Amino acid sequence: MKLALVFVGFIVLVVLGLPFSIQGDSSLTGAVQSFMQYGLTATGFLLSLLTIFMSRSLADELVGRQIFLLMTKPLPRWQYVAGKWVGITVLNTSFLFGSGLTIYVMVHYIKNTHPPIDEVFDQASLDKEVLVARHALPYQPPDFLRPAKQEYERNLEEGLYENTPEITARSETARLTKKYEARWRVVGPSEKRVFEFENVLCDRSTGKEVQIRYKTEVTRYPPDEVFRGLWMAGDAAKGTPVYRIPVRHVVGRFHGVRIPADAVAEDNTLTVFFSNENPFKDEPQYNNVIEFRKSNDLELLFVVGSFEWNLVRLLVLMLCKLMFLAAVALLLTTVFSFPVACLASFTIYVLAGTRSFILESCDFASADQAGMFTSPREFFIQLVMHLYHTVHWVIPDFGRYDAIESFVNGRNVGLVWVLQGVFWLVLVKTALVLGSAMLLFHRREVAEVSV
Amino acid sequence: MQTVPIVQTAELCKTFKDFWRRPHVEAVKDLSLEIRPGEVFGLLGPNGSGKTTTIKMLLGLLYPTRGRISVFGKPPSDVAVKGRIGFLPEESYLYRFLVAHETLDYYGRLFRLPSSVRRERTDRLLDMVGLRHEAKRRVGEYSKGMARRIGLAQALINDPEFLILDEPTSGLDPIGARQIKDVIRDLGRKGKTILLSSHILADVEDVCDRVTILYGGQQQAAGDISDLLRKTDTTQINAPALEDRTIAQIRELVQRLERKDILDVTNPRVSLEDFFLRIVEEAQAKNIQTSGARGGGEIPEFLQQPTESITHDVVESLVMASSVKVEPAAVETLVNDKSDQERTRQLINDLMGGAAEEKEEMEVTEVQPHRAESSEPSSTETARPRSADAGVIERLLDGGRDGEGDSETES
Repeated sequence: MKLALVFVGFIVLVVLGLPFSIQGDSSLTGAVQSFMQYGLTATGFLLSLLTIFMSRSLADELVGRQIFLLMTKPLPRWQYVAGKWVGITVLNTSFLFGSGLTIYVMVHYIKNTHPPIDEVFDQASLDKEVLVARHALPYQPPDFLRPAKQEYERNLEEGLYENTPEITARSETARLTKKYEARWRVVGPSEKRVFEFENVLCDRSTGKEVQIRYKTEVTRYPPDEVFRGLWMAGDAAKGTPVYRIPVRHVVGRFHGVRIPADAVAEDNTLTVFFSNENPFKDEPQYNNVIEFRKSNDLELLFVVGSFEWNLVRLLVLMLCKLMFLAAVALLLTTVFSFPVACLASFTIYVLAGTRSFILESCDFASADQAGMFTSPREFFIQLVMHLYHTVHWVIPDFGRYDAIESFVNGRNVGLVWVLQGVFWLVLVKTALVLGSAMLLFHRREVAEVSV
Repeated sequence: MQTVPIVQTAELCKTFKDFWRRPHVEAVKDLSLEIRPGEVFGLLGPNGSGKTTTIKMLLGLLYPTRGRISVFGKPPSDVAVKGRIGFLPEESYLYRFLVAHETLDYYGRLFRLPSSVRRERTDRLLDMVGLRHEAKRRVGEYSKGMARRIGLAQALINDPEFLILDEPTSGLDPIGARQIKDVIRDLGRKGKTILLSSHILADVEDVCDRVTILYGGQQQAAGDISDLLRKTDTTQINAPALEDRTIAQIRELVQRLERKDILDVTNPRVSLEDFFLRIVEEAQAKNIQTSGARGGGEIPEFLQQPTESITHDVVESLVMASSVKVEPAAVETLVNDKSDQERTRQLINDLMGGAAEEKEEMEVTEVQPHRAESSEPSSTETARPRSADAGVIERLLDGGRDGEGDSETES
């Protein structure tokens, strides 16, 4: 109980103290986003530690032998383990949603007390881009494989590969696909690029907006590091108004372009054009080549829910992870002493949080096609990979269910995402681990004497 | 009539293993025992003899390495079986942060007792163990003896048919130890089956019907305690204080009739336990304040209900009695014994020339009758007299008439 109070004290200190110490990028939006990012991350981390430590209750009863009295009462052992898990989960739920409520209150406190950089842009950015739940519709680039295959067939018919037997159909098609994609991603001076979005299920009523989020690079940096361009949205053929939105944006950063929602056609499609021209006649024209990189593909954002419900869904996802962690900690406590169980639980927590990173790192470090016994380094790397692949089916990828960044950026923490988390983290993996804990505890001699 | 044993073990073995799972210590070896319904069974042995290990196996806290074990005819791990058992471990492993009232309520919940029943039983049991006035104190603040009392109370919260008590008097003051023994005796009389494990011999002797003595994990002796402890080569006569002249005449008489010397004639001493209890009772009578446990109360009514199995046995006995000719009952024997006593008293009066008539009535200790047949002792009764045999007096009487004598008694 004292341990829980210490952790709750830490959480309160973090959540209440952060607004007074974090400034972000000095904008109101930045302050709120920084607070939410650090507050939620710290809450998640501290509650994860608390969850691991709370499994001590089972270890304490084994060491203190209160278990002797409990297990001689008509209490099935599986119920005892399940009861411990339910207890930890109930405490976690109350702490997590208590923290969530505090964060919600503090966000509104910051909003009302922190001075915005400018009343129009900063305030609107916070209200329309952060304190909302927006669905992000990624842009699906065209199919570059088909023209690549067609060109390969043409070249083959023309006999271009007769003297180059090392070129295979696969490698040449891949090369041509990359060429088509690279050509599509750059927009030369005075060129236009069309982006078409489908299934834009937004509210198209007057006053509502959708937003294009994008980031560009340029082949040659302009002296003021600003590129100028023109966005157009709407399709007159489909009866929507067409909006012209001139932009003056810093190169190499993400930007948002707000578009009235009535530019979306009735068939839920939105056509957007980008023209590499300077719409500001009084400003210099650098005739730069603009590039939309693959790693920063365009997104179309539109509001689908409220900030409050988004917060609730985020907390549910965080709770799913804590439920799994509680099951792991209990499983290990039924087998090992508390210090060992604690360390092992924390290791699993770290592995689950860095699963993708570890696999990618190992993959990157390992030489292509290298055998396991080619060198000690390769042996170690591949051993880690094999071990990780062996256990990865039970250790979930916490990163996949980490919704804090999306939430902080005003992205919708979708119900499907949450349900996937509930299914995989709770119904499958937690059930598996908790079931194992019950089985092990059922078979265990609770009065076991080690000699 | 054949009754189903409450506990039955056959060739029970428990071997503790080391870190590498190699056999290391053989705590219990080939233990076969049987505890019958309604008896107070003692498990006796020095430290490390396997008593607690045996109890843990009976409770399903340890699994036997070999052998069979059944409690109420089922494996010890059976949850339904545990609902019929009360257990007091060797130390009171209670939650330090709960108060006494909460502790009993908590364990009552595990038996799914309704709240009204829990409340009533908690109050009654706290009265019984003399801790009603400390019910709001955390168990962690209790002395060891007080914690043992709460431990006993939790063992009784479900009104168990079978009570397992591991070192129940350890850590208790003499008053507490006496009270616990009284409780065990009373519960035994009410038909509860009790397994008592102890290395305090007096405890076991005071309350148990049968014992098994363990040493090195093996059974060394077993049987009825009265049979095991009876000294058949010595006779003890308890009487009010006698004149030297009378004692000399008795010596002469014994010499003449039995051709044996009386070994020792002394004034018996009251036991230190009885003396101590008398002093404390006097202090209590003066209302001297204490923050510790006070004198225990009566056994709660809910524990005095006959258990189902006992009721069943009684019914079966009645049915049998109507159809089968029964051997002379113990009660008749007791009556005969009483007539023997009368004759003995008359003899001694004659021997003493009527001098004793004006003194208090002489007391001759008879062989301890079976617990179930004895009159109910009060909670403050003194220790039972031992090592006396009315049959010897009868022989002495007969020998006097016949003028025959046996060989000399060895001292």
